[in-house]
Amino acid sequence: MKHRKYLIPEICMILFTMLMISPLLIMVFGAFKDSVGAAAFDFTLPKQWEFGNFSFVIQNGNVVRAFINSLILTGFTTVFGVLLAAMAAFVIVRKDTKGSKGIYNYFLIGMIAPLQIITTYAVLKVLHLNGTFIGLIMVYIAVNLPFNFFLFCSFIKGIPRELDESGFMDGASQSCLFFKIIFPLLKPVTATSIVILAMSVWNDFQLPLYLLNTPKKWTLPLTVYNFYGQYYSKWNYVFADCIITAVPILIVYLFAQKYIVEGMTSGAVKG
Amino acid sequence: MKKKGNYSYSLAVPAVVIYTGLFVLPMILCFITAFTNWNIRDLYHFSFNGLENFVSIFSDQFFLLAIKNTLIFAVVTTVFKVAAGLMLALILTKPFKTRNILRSLLYMPAVLSTVVIGLVFTAFFEMGGMWDKILGLLGYSGNLIWLGNEKTALWCVIATEIWQWSGFTMMLFIAGLQGISRDYLEAAQIDGASSFQRFWKITVPLLAPSFTITIITNLIGGLKVFDKVYVLTNGGPGYATQVLGTYVYKSFSAGFLGKSSAMSLVLTVTVCIITLLINRQLVKREVEA
Repeated sequence: MKHRKYLIPEICMILFTMLMISPLLIMVFGAFKDSVGAAAFDFTLPKQWEFGNFSFVIQNGNVVRAFINSLILTGFTTVFGVLLAAMAAFVIVRKDTKGSKGIYNYFLIGMIAPLQIITTYAVLKVLHLNGTFIGLIMVYIAVNLPFNFFLFCSFIKGIPRELDESGFMDGASQSCLFFKIIFPLLKPVTATSIVILAMSVWNDFQLPLYLLNTPKKWTLPLTVYNFYGQYYSKWNYVFADCIITAVPILIVYLFAQKYIVEGMTSGAVKG
Repeated sequence: MKKKGNYSYSLAVPAVVIYTGLFVLPMILCFITAFTNWNIRDLYHFSFNGLENFVSIFSDQFFLLAIKNTLIFAVVTTVFKVAAGLMLALILTKPFKTRNILRSLLYMPAVLSTVVIGLVFTAFFEMGGMWDKILGLLGYSGNLIWLGNEKTALWCVIATEIWQWSGFTMMLFIAGLQGISRDYLEAAQIDGASSFQRFWKITVPLLAPSFTITIITNLIGGLKVFDKVYVLTNGGPGYATQVLGTYVYKSFSAGFLGKSSAMSLVLTVTVCIITLLINRQLVKREVEA
């Protein structure tokens, strides 16, 4: 009885959802069509599945290089970004003094104000890090620190202080305590933080555009955009390139959905 | 026994250093360079020119247009994302069998790269593309160049943004709705409140924190918009869809660093003022639950 009542609204909702995601089907089907078929921009299945589109894009779209570049940037940013945020959050939450509250608020600035990319470019130039991966990784870490920091803060608040005290009694140093006892307890929030950070770096377009000047260092989103500039009438190739960029993220989304949603919603609460 | 103050800051040092060096320092520098004639040709030598940059950008009609476009973009997308997100959340908290998979599908656009979304919607709005076909089914055959027309381009970008982020806003509202105790709603029902009354008198006030979060994050995101506009229209046709983010980039690539710092500063100040004002208003409305 109860289920009956919701049957029609549910069917409407299923249809609505399908309608909403239908634009993505232009891309999915288009990637397997020939150039004329893809340029029709419709949902018809390809008459003939052109898997060759993908090998063309991989050969001509600088895809392998860009894929590796994206992996390097995402990997290093994620590892160090998450670690630095967790370490800082632990001390700031535990210290609970005027000074630590000041630092807490200091990180709040980064949740609101946009990054000043022009002067960041200048700072990197002075450090001789402009146009390098190390420079960009450091900028990514800095920009994303506040979000990850607050994510860890709210989680660490729930970890009992007694744990620290028993650790200190056993003569552990603060770093030893953090890495041996506290950090392993942060697994759920660490997973969330890793996934969110990795996704935002992988998808980012603006910072590499400003800060990486040579095509050799470009990331996937940049090469896709550039590829579109070269082959704008060959939508089958452009769509294939889009799919190559999107698939890694979709795989992560499929498996880590829980962490993504949790992080994006709980992280926003602190904003 | 360790006391609160005995924790050492050592573990926080790397984070504070990197955040200060590459986020806060650039911000402070921007307050200086915005008042100079700094440009790309001679990075290490610049002189102060007072308010010249600001006089110049505020007398530039295209910069004013960019401000207007940014505000329209931020406000319109926020209103629609919040409305659509709330509606979807209310529907998808009903006991549907398929609700989890529907939620995941609606959220999916939020995890895709803006470049991918931008290109898909470039195709979507292409002449003779999906959008024209949908309109054709409704009996309208304008066949406009939607993204190349001054009157429609900005609205196409806005529609794309709403499409991408409504599912994300929905998830925020679902989290909020799940936090509302059923007791309130049941008590009201027993007292004879209609479902309309229950929604406006109970659900909406108790959702106030969710409204604060969704409105603030969407407004900030909207004001900072860059890549969606860059990919879909690159500010064109002409300057019709230029927003602050893309106009700063244009000026940066032309080498006018002082001037683009000034623009960037205008954007930052706008974001901060709007966020603080709105946040204060919204927090005032939140009730204890």
